[in-house]
Amino acid sequence: MRSMLNLQNLHATVGEGDEAKPIINGLSLEVPAGEIHAIMGPNGAGKSTLSYVLTGREGYEVTEGSATLEGEDLLSMEPEERAAKGLFLSFQYPIEIPGVPVMTFVRTAMNAQRKLRGEDEISAPEFIKKAREVGAALNIDAEMLKRPLNVGFSGGEKKRLEIFQMMMLEPRFAILDETDSGLDIDALKTVADGVNVLRRSDRGMLVITHYQRLLDYIRPDRVHVLAKGRIVASGGPDLALRLEKEGYDGVLGEPA
Amino acid sequence: MTIADASNPLSNPTIAEKKLFDRCRAMRATNSRTSAFGLFAETGLPHRRMEQWKWTDIRAALTNLETPSIDLAKQTVEVPEGACVLIFDGVAWKLPETLPEGVSAHRQSDATPLKTIEGLPLGQLTASMTGQDSSSDFVSIEISGKVDQPIFLDFASAPAETAFARLAFNILPDCSVRLIEAHSGNAAFSSTLIEFRLQSGASVDRTFVQRASTAQSVGITATAVLGEKASFVQTALGFGAKVCRVETHVRFEGAEAHAELNSAYLAGDDHHIDFTSHVTHAAPSCTTRQLTKGAVSKGGRGVFQGKFLVPRSIGQFTDADMQHQALLLEDGAEVFAKPELEIYADDVECAHGNTSGQLDEAALFYMRQRGIPAVEARALLTEAFIVEALQTAHEAVRDQMIDEARNFLRAEG
Ligand SMILES: Nc1ncnc2c1ncn2[C@@H]1O[C@H](COP(=O)(O)OP(=O)(O)OP(=O)(O)O)[C@@H](O)[C@H]1O
Ligand SMILES: [Mg+2]
Repeated sequence: MRSMLNLQNLHATVGEGDEAKPIINGLSLEVPAGEIHAIMGPNGAGKSTLSYVLTGREGYEVTEGSATLEGEDLLSMEPEERAAKGLFLSFQYPIEIPGVPVMTFVRTAMNAQRKLRGEDEISAPEFIKKAREVGAALNIDAEMLKRPLNVGFSGGEKKRLEIFQMMMLEPRFAILDETDSGLDIDALKTVADGVNVLRRSDRGMLVITHYQRLLDYIRPDRVHVLAKGRIVASGGPDLALRLEKEGYDGVLGEPA
Repeated sequence: MTIADASNPLSNPTIAEKKLFDRCRAMRATNSRTSAFGLFAETGLPHRRMEQWKWTDIRAALTNLETPSIDLAKQTVEVPEGACVLIFDGVAWKLPETLPEGVSAHRQSDATPLKTIEGLPLGQLTASMTGQDSSSDFVSIEISGKVDQPIFLDFASAPAETAFARLAFNILPDCSVRLIEAHSGNAAFSSTLIEFRLQSGASVDRTFVQRASTAQSVGITATAVLGEKASFVQTALGFGAKVCRVETHVRFEGAEAHAELNSAYLAGDDHHIDFTSHVTHAAPSCTTRQLTKGAVSKGGRGVFQGKFLVPRSIGQFTDADMQHQALLLEDGAEVFAKPELEIYADDVECAHGNTSGQLDEAALFYMRQRGIPAVEARALLTEAFIVEALQTAHEAVRDQMIDEARNFLRAEG
């Protein structure tokens, strides 16, 4: 099995200068192409930090270790280059982009990625057709796509919009950071269906969640427990069930 | 006071001021010219020790008056199809052979200076330098119908030391006019004065773009006096100059009139742009909506000075809102703002807001995560921020204005 995302002994700090605080402490993880791995872990364990480190957010500094996507060094790339390579992050807290309608935003992003990859732009009719299809699949109102991205959207709407963007951009590797929190029961199902549509032999995913429920819909190949900046336990889907029953203390045998 | 008396009232005139005094002395003296120049001569070119000019020092920028050596093609907006075009070449107004129905224009020898330019040094200077026997034209325009065809004012002076342009609009009751202006002349110092008189029920919709090089100083002064139920809507996009002052004075004299002042400014390195306005609610139940949005990059400077004056009793039931929001795109960008509400009437609704800040780093990262390169992300966010102030621009040029703003932001990033 080809490993798609490969993290080896990753160490990273958050914050500038003297304030820099180690959050990721020797994290190793491999996600093969075609697989979906889930990451669970207590609040403050470093799950979102990992997602920012991988996508290249400013203020998150890697001090040791490596991170590659399909053999290419992610850490030496700008955030937009990583995106053009096919890395996508569904944010735990999606950001409001005032004044930029969803459609304009997604089209700009799509064409920017294509340009970076040396591909042609998507035509306007082709884009609109695709947006309509994806919007319909996710039960997103067409009116919503005309509004400035995330501005005034409810928590659940924002999460749905993240998946809308993911399905439009068709990334090679997606990280979903608590996309399930804030979604109502029906929306959770819709979003999970969207994710399952993208399941493909040449695509990988890392799904960060606190709840077993999402994993009922998106069956992960592996489940990892992240605590104190490292992967401390890994197993099959049943690990999530055990965590739900016994809690982190129970599974890890010590307070996380 | 005669012009000779006024010739040298300043103890230490600059070379530019001496030139202006000499020029005025060479012109035929008329009462109005003498009094306008006399008022100007009391202060000379406006400078930083004058409260209203503390951030915009025209005198310092204009120490001498030298004709810029190159003729710069500065992109503003193109003439929309079907517009009636009036061109100012730096000396004379070129009027089209036929004017649209409801528009008549007259070259003026001398006009009584309006009370509204009192206290406006650039307005006074321009008034004294225009009219017959002086270096440039003064045209007055009467609007006696609902004129749909846009009137395009092209301030396109050739390279010269100065360009003084003056227009006066009289809009008869219930008549209307829409203006589009390109301020992109090539004089070292250009100063434009436009006076609007809106009679009851009249309306003016004015859209303009200002662009100049750092070898130029620019003043764009307008006054508008509104009668009952009149409406004055102004939308401006300014890129600044070595110094550029856009000054707008609105005075409500009839009830239930309405003014909208929307401005966007984008100042690049060594560019200075100042939007100053003064709205006097000297009649009851009038409304003002003012939105100014600016973005300044390294070495640029933006100035906003806004004032609402609501006199006691006659200003009752005023409803006015003033907002100024600026983005400092980089370290080394400067914005100075002074919003003022001076309210003496008691039953009014007046609000104002003033913020300046930086682009949201979280939003920039979010956009880059989606594949949008940093430069483009910054330009897109800034454009979205600015565009709100251009919503009221004439629809024939609005998209061009947004494109100009976008091109500027892409080039700056
Ligand atoms: N900018 C920062 N400065 C200092 N500490 C930070 C910063 N950002 C995150 N941290 C800290 O890093 C730790 C990990 O945070 P992170 O957001 O990665 O947790 P998480 O595992 O995603 O938690 P949750 O399940 O609550 O989302 C936390 O203790 C947090 O307070
Ligand atoms: Mg988190």
